[in-house]
Amino acid sequence: MVMEDDIRLEVATKPRLLGVVRAMVRSYLQSKGFSAETVDLAVLAVDEACANSIRHSYGSRTDCRMELRVRMTDTHVEFELNDDGVPLDPDRCARRELVPPELNALRPGGLGVQLMYRVFDEITFEPGGERGNRTLMRLQRPPSGQSARRAHDA
Amino acid sequence: MALDIERKGADGACTLVVKGEVDLYSSPDLRAAITKAMPKFGGSVSVDLRGIPYMDSSGVATLVEGYRTAMERSTAFILLSPSQSVLKVLQLSRLDTVFTIRNDIL
Repeated sequence: MVMEDDIRLEVATKPRLLGVVRAMVRSYLQSKGFSAETVDLAVLAVDEACANSIRHSYGSRTDCRMELRVRMTDTHVEFELNDDGVPLDPDRCARRELVPPELNALRPGGLGVQLMYRVFDEITFEPGGERGNRTLMRLQRPPSGQSARRAHDA
Repeated sequence: MALDIERKGADGACTLVVKGEVDLYSSPDLRAAITKAMPKFGGSVSVDLRGIPYMDSSGVATLVEGYRTAMERSTAFILLSPSQSVLKVLQLSRLDTVFTIRNDIL
């Protein structure tokens, strides 16, 4: 079943606007009953996705646009980030284990993607053929009537 | 929003008190402050993180850069009283055991 977007936000690729995106995501998840800890983590992970798009898809250009869609399904909240930049390298988007002190994980684009994997239940990176990227991030929604509590392994 | 970074102490043993959100937009300011505060050799640089309600991976990368430079120069690099938000992102990054972290009581 295709769900309609609750939010469709088109935002310029200006790093100073990331705070606006975070505020929107925070407010939305709070309104849906997610726990404070889960909200904090999801805000971080969506922010990382947007920052990844700015830095790597668009090479830090600030005159481009990206689109964030947010919707609820029966089981999950979904964040879909679309850009029209350079398709991301699949190797850069692969999941890796971070073993301390793996400071090499902090090469450009390295840590942010790994943080996204640690937060979301599912992530799909879909680089376009010649241009663009679609990143779909899914997080299980809280059971009805109670806040979700996620047991992270950090 | 720009960071508020106050430098305390003498050259060679200073503390940077940082307030505000550290993200892709503001982390260059933190990077510049750490670079400027870093002695050529020895001494210490402490970064007070209690006033940071949010930090992303670019902030973590900035701290790692400081850590690496400090190691090369035999300088102590200390994170002071990280907020819960900062501590969480360090834990997620598996770096909380890499840094020297001290919790000061004001």
